[in-house]
Amino acid sequence: MRRWTFVLGGLLVWAAHFFLLYGFASLFPGERLVRTLSLAATIPALAADAALLWFGAARRRRADCNKLERWLAGLAILGAAISIVAVMWQALAAAIG
Amino acid sequence: MTSETGFDPALYDRFPIRKARPKGELGELERIWAAPTGWARLTVINNNYIGLWYVGTAFLFFILAGILALVMRTQLALPLNGVLPQETYNQFFTMHGTIMMFLFAVPIMEAIGVLLLPQMLGARDLPFPRLSAYAFWAYFAGGLSFFASLFFGLAPSGGWFMYPPLTNMTYSPGINADFWLLGIGFIEISAIAGAIEIIVGVMRTRAPGMTLDKIPIFAWAMLVFAVMIIIAFPAVILATLLLELERALNWPFFDATRGGDPMLWQHLFWFFGHPEVYIIFLPAAGLVSMMVGALSRTTLVGYRLVVLAMLATGFISFGVWAHHMFTTGMPTMSIAFFSAASMAVSIPAGIQVFAWIATLASGRPRYNTPTLFLIGGLVTFVIGGLSGVMVAMVPFDWQVHDTHFIVAHLHYVLIGGSVFPLFAAFYFWAPMSSRHALSERVGKWVFWLMFIGMQVTFLPMHLTGLMGMPRRVYTYLPGSDWVVTNFISTIGAYMIGAGVLLFVVELFRSFRFSVDDSAGNVYEGGTLEWAPAGIYSVRSIPVVNSRQPLWDNPDLGKDIKAGRYLLPMSATGNRETIISSPLRAEPQYLEIMPLPSAWPLTAALSTAGAFLLLTVQAYGVAIASGVVAVISLLRWLWETDRPVALKLADVGGGIKLPTYATGPSTHGWWAMVTVLIVIGMVFLMTIFSYVFVYGIHPQYWSAPPDRLWLIPILGGYAAAAGLALLGRHLLAREKSTKWSPPTQILLAAAALGGAFTADFGSWRLHGLDPELSAQGALVMAFLVEQAQLVAVSVLMALYLAARTSSGLLSRPRNNSFDLTVLFIVYTAAQASLSSLLTRLFPGGL
Repeated sequence: MRRWTFVLGGLLVWAAHFFLLYGFASLFPGERLVRTLSLAATIPALAADAALLWFGAARRRRADCNKLERWLAGLAILGAAISIVAVMWQALAAAIG
Repeated sequence: MTSETGFDPALYDRFPIRKARPKGELGELERIWAAPTGWARLTVINNNYIGLWYVGTAFLFFILAGILALVMRTQLALPLNGVLPQETYNQFFTMHGTIMMFLFAVPIMEAIGVLLLPQMLGARDLPFPRLSAYAFWAYFAGGLSFFASLFFGLAPSGGWFMYPPLTNMTYSPGINADFWLLGIGFIEISAIAGAIEIIVGVMRTRAPGMTLDKIPIFAWAMLVFAVMIIIAFPAVILATLLLELERALNWPFFDATRGGDPMLWQHLFWFFGHPEVYIIFLPAAGLVSMMVGALSRTTLVGYRLVVLAMLATGFISFGVWAHHMFTTGMPTMSIAFFSAASMAVSIPAGIQVFAWIATLASGRPRYNTPTLFLIGGLVTFVIGGLSGVMVAMVPFDWQVHDTHFIVAHLHYVLIGGSVFPLFAAFYFWAPMSSRHALSERVGKWVFWLMFIGMQVTFLPMHLTGLMGMPRRVYTYLPGSDWVVTNFISTIGAYMIGAGVLLFVVELFRSFRFSVDDSAGNVYEGGTLEWAPAGIYSVRSIPVVNSRQPLWDNPDLGKDIKAGRYLLPMSATGNRETIISSPLRAEPQYLEIMPLPSAWPLTAALSTAGAFLLLTVQAYGVAIASGVVAVISLLRWLWETDRPVALKLADVGGGIKLPTYATGPSTHGWWAMVTVLIVIGMVFLMTIFSYVFVYGIHPQYWSAPPDRLWLIPILGGYAAAAGLALLGRHLLAREKSTKWSPPTQILLAAAALGGAFTADFGSWRLHGLDPELSAQGALVMAFLVEQAQLVAVSVLMALYLAARTSSGLLSRPRNNSFDLTVLFIVYTAAQASLSSLLTRLFPGGL
């Protein structure tokens, strides 16, 4: 399970960030508050993605990393990268919407 | 090399074994796997037969829905045309959309999965062949009955997304809408059964050595597809259940005058409905990724990126459902977030498109029929994708919402992203199941007729929409701007029809089903489904070292056929397949597979009967049919989960595998967890409905019963979970008596029943009236869900008791026992959450 969480980590971060933003927009009155909360939620999401990138790169560099592990770490890195793009894109809607 | 299960991968080096196999071994394998003949053929469960019947039935629905489309296009060819009266036109567009989405697009993908996956993965069959048979027959019977409603004027007419209040009893009296609600709800159960089969099949029945980075890309696509079904379909199951309850019992889930809200339907429907588009697209994308490499005579460019794109599509598609609701007055910020997500989904789609283009560019493609369909599909899908990005922009969507522009967009996406790839796949894989390949010459005619017809039909339809013609109107006045474009679209539709007709003629002319005398690898694919095979799939299960094993090891097919790999015989005298570990596909144990049986067939037909009879309000017969379904189901299960005398079986190369396994690593456990995720998603969607409705109309809500009721309720559920776990503990203890473990399970079921009675009773004493308000209706919906789980738990406990009395409860561990415990513990947990939520929210927190 931990391995799957790592591999899908970036996508999970994106999903959590999206549903948080949707939750803020649905639950809280006032655009200003929603925008502030959304941007605040974006910072830990990006930090989590950055951490995934770092862990993924570190895992690939490990001497005992076999072919499958390297492939999975690569998948996790790419997932985190696409998540960074998606999270920032999502946050733009709050920043300039 | 690292191991996942303790298996020594060095053992793979023993293969291929050069020693000749004993004579008669192959004959024995053929005898064990032989399909029943005559009328008994209906009881067949083998994937070659079920898969082909499944594909054939889904294609039949494609033709039927296509005929409806042609009649509709004839009606719209000229202004004030009189081919179809208004109500019939409404029924036609509803049935066209519903059949294409629910009876063609999703089932045909599952069907192709059932047909191709076992051989592609090097398995003998999918892990639950009887479940495949059940899913097929349920779909076959339910689908045909649903379609037949059209001939009796009973077909639904509210559009394929059936929005209330149009579909409530006031505006849709009669039973037409009920046909849709019960029919579709039932067919979704079949889809979920297929998804469970696919998930467990891809994760647990791969050939040894087929690690995650070597899985054929179609299997990745099917895995994501099946997981998406598990997550998305519960939303539509819940929605159809709630609307049917509203119509039948007057519970106001969607009635704003009593605290419900019609927007709830839209949220639930589109939480399913938009991922549905990707559920249809992803397997087709998997097929394209498989074919594009083989047809270009090179490997797929960016395998890992394509896998990532599939996974990302799976995730992002759940964040775009509300883009179908931009015109409903949602909060501005919500709209902005959904708009952004809708544009972002083009990134993973784009990755796949560029990977395919790069593969075509880097290889040496042969421009045969499947390649033409691939390229035609690519062009069409990209056009549809671009218009999709256009409608993701809110101001543009406001202009074209519910116009023919949307009709054009969705057909570009679905035909380009799914239908053309499917036709490519028909041509590509037909030689695997037929004595003759399909004709290339005819195929090119089929392609050009369909491709040009597609563009002629739907390109002008963008203009029709931009000029303002709304969708779902049965006629228009002469002199409108869209007279010419409508006429052109009708000509195009007939061209598509001519192409499909030609294809059907060609099928009758050339396709001759065969499992052991097929035309073979005409297009020179490199994956395992092209290895020599019989009804038992591959003769011996190979060790896989690459993504295109047949390309990388030219002798592999010969060695497989000669039985030089694993399981070249029946090790126990039964049907078997190797269950392997999820990441590295290390062999773990031998699954003893069931034999053909009539019980899945009777279970499916009686389940379909129960649902259909409910629709026509023949309640007594419906209940009787339901009872037959349950009995058939139990009878089918009764023959399973029986350890064989041989505890360890030699599968070749000196590798010995257990013939019985229990616990979380078994395929049965995986299937049960998947079922529980489905049930959990239904529950989660009910929670969403509860909170959503409260958020819209809090003034209709009243205080819940006294919170002291929680003590007996939660106590009862905790006791049930504790007793079930104690039973499992006792089963493993040598000193316990024969009856002490199942007795704990019976007591646990009784505790569940007691706690549920307290829960339900407290609400009734409090004056719960589900007709009065949405709060009452939703609390009752929670209780209905709970009652179902408790009833199933009781049934499972009684079933376990019956198996105990027949001496079928193996010790120290038993799968039936394990799964019953798992189900009871889950039921107790969900019931506790449900009673806490309805009593503490709102106001109690």
